[in-house]
Amino acid sequence: MAGEDAAACAPQVGGHAPRDAASFDEETRALIAPDAGSLPATPPSAVEANFARYFAADYLNPGHDQYVYRHPNGLCVVGLAPAHVALKEEGGITAIDFNVGKTDRSEIKVTGKRKRNAQHLQENSALCKVCTKDKTFVVRCCVKGQLLEINDRLMKQPDLLNTSADREGYIAIFMQKPADWLKVKDKFLSFEEYKNLRGIC
Amino acid sequence: MTATHAAAAESDAEARSILERAAAASFPPLHAVHHLLSVGVCVRCIFRMFGAFSHACSCASLTVPFFHSFLEEHDDSAKGGSCSCLSTDGACCSICFGILLPTCHQDEGVVPFDDISRIDIITSMVSQAIQREGYQIDGFSLEISLPAVVAANERAIRLYMKEKYGSENWFKDEIFSQQTMSVKEGLRLLIVPSLEKQLGVKHGNNSFRIRLTYTHDDASLKLKRLLPNDSNRKRKAESREGNDTRRNSTYDDKQTLSETDSFIHKSLEGIQDQEFCSLFKLPPEKVSKPCHLVISFLRPAIYIGGRYLKLSRNVSQSCWIIDDERMGEASVEEIIKESVCAISRGDGYKFHAAGREDIDVRMLGSGRPFLIEVLNVRSIPSAIEIQQISDKINSSEKKHVRIRNLKLVDNEIWAMMREGEAEKQKQYAALIWTSSPLTDDDLQKISVIKDMEIVQNTPVRVLHRRSPLERKRIIHWMEIEKVEGSSNYYLLHLCTQAGTYIKEFVHGDLGRTNPSIGSMLRCRAEILQLDVTDVKMDLLQ
Repeated sequence: MAGEDAAACAPQVGGHAPRDAASFDEETRALIAPDAGSLPATPPSAVEANFARYFAADYLNPGHDQYVYRHPNGLCVVGLAPAHVALKEEGGITAIDFNVGKTDRSEIKVTGKRKRNAQHLQENSALCKVCTKDKTFVVRCCVKGQLLEINDRLMKQPDLLNTSADREGYIAIFMQKPADWLKVKDKFLSFEEYKNLRGIC
Repeated sequence: MTATHAAAAESDAEARSILERAAAASFPPLHAVHHLLSVGVCVRCIFRMFGAFSHACSCASLTVPFFHSFLEEHDDSAKGGSCSCLSTDGACCSICFGILLPTCHQDEGVVPFDDISRIDIITSMVSQAIQREGYQIDGFSLEISLPAVVAANERAIRLYMKEKYGSENWFKDEIFSQQTMSVKEGLRLLIVPSLEKQLGVKHGNNSFRIRLTYTHDDASLKLKRLLPNDSNRKRKAESREGNDTRRNSTYDDKQTLSETDSFIHKSLEGIQDQEFCSLFKLPPEKVSKPCHLVISFLRPAIYIGGRYLKLSRNVSQSCWIIDDERMGEASVEEIIKESVCAISRGDGYKFHAAGREDIDVRMLGSGRPFLIEVLNVRSIPSAIEIQQISDKINSSEKKHVRIRNLKLVDNEIWAMMREGEAEKQKQYAALIWTSSPLTDDDLQKISVIKDMEIVQNTPVRVLHRRSPLERKRIIHWMEIEKVEGSSNYYLLHLCTQAGTYIKEFVHGDLGRTNPSIGSMLRCRAEILQLDVTDVKMDLLQ
């Protein structure tokens, strides 16, 4: 049974209504059938495949490590790097606060293709604050450009910063001019360099 | 020689009978007719203005000298050897500028054609152009565009006649005041039978259009300068538009001319006869340069539709070039266009498809509906030719694209394609990897889901060009199939609402698509390959 065409058998196996998946002609079936032998044990993740990953160690302050994932379309995802000092605090991060000084970054709604209302921020502008049990750390933008969105799920689920800071726990998305990127690009470390610097694997 | 003489004699006789009939039925006193002739109005325009115009007026013998001698015989005032109407200075008709009685071919200098009916020259130019362009036609319709000056000329002559003969009794009859045949109608009357004969097809409400565009730049510009307010209004409009219009001088000239024409038309309508007389020289000056004629053809776009399969992950749907660098080795659009272009000749080809897929996504199964719009096509492709287009693509060496159900379709299908695009369902097969092996319970859990709503924040991948929004989409059903010989790879079959981002639905796009395959199975899910296996539309099935 296991050796047979699973899709063709699926309706019977699951005991539910037949599906269109069973109705492929032979040719289509042959085209979509993967070759198990050629598949890598672990494929590159969506982040690895779609972004160039850069790191800023000790950004403005010791231990303030951040990442910038740059998509070929010019957008940058910013978040906390694995060795960020806040992640090492006891109990990890407990809250995130997008209220920095004059503005609350979570209250600005960017709209339209032209990204109306998007704030123009500098590399060293404060993006948000992350709080641990008894400390607060300021997170910086790291890139100069328009702030398109902040990850508002973090306000309800700050634990995402502890569990998957490199994916669902990202902090914000920026859009920057290609020329501005070229200016700051060389200041960042590559993933390899960062890994070696912090001794993580 | 004798035959020619005989023909000439016959023609003379015919011309005489036409003149006699016209003189008896509709001409005013012949001295007025003669006067028109002497101020440079052509024979055909005279017939036209007095309501005596017919196809017979194309008779080759109906020339000015012939007309003059006829008048000499019947009217004393025309007697005398030297008469201004006989001067052979080659001036065009002071109304139609030679449109009804062409005197020369504009592009090849002056060609006298006394032996043939002069309208036939235009006809043979049209016929040659049709052959040169390779049009195959089963009929034609005719569009004629004349410069506004012609209407102004006609009005000037009418007013001149009114001024001169207004007090005479014959003028007070309706003869001259009534609406007579326009130059355009006159030309149509002469040229349509000639075109029908030459082209061997009938004139009618055909989609193949022959367009005769007559222009007379010198006279148009001269007339424009005479009109009041013109220059002021023009200049104001120009200064408002800024300098842009002036930079490109050829464009500007053309623009100005077409604007001039509609402006003249409008201005003339608004001018009273009295003002008209004060502005224009009556009768109009003789002009030696005839109208310039441009012959063009137009056939409405035809549509060839079908479904395409894209079998390569390195071929985009449309030509995709970023910073002069080509993405992918080819495109569906170019491959199809090239084959259509090789078999069906047109001025342009436009590719339209019902939705699209990413460059690295194959389009399999039923294929995706598409249309090729062929502009100004030379001949309507036959069923055999359509088959040839299809065969050409399907037998190509690289096999990137395959075509199904290619056929000639009417333009209603256009609306049907756009309509179905939003609500259509699409089926996919995705090769996915999960960070932990899935259990039978997991597979079962996925397969019982029906019409589940998901929320997709605009994917990061397209956020640079699309609006940041939460988009709600429906996943109609899913089925996960194990890939033999590997514990973490699966084939995910799913059917979704149009516009669902499948890749993001699998990996979750940093949590921005929710739920996702990863979040539902509580593991990390990655997508390696994606194929569209069905675009569910009735269209071109």
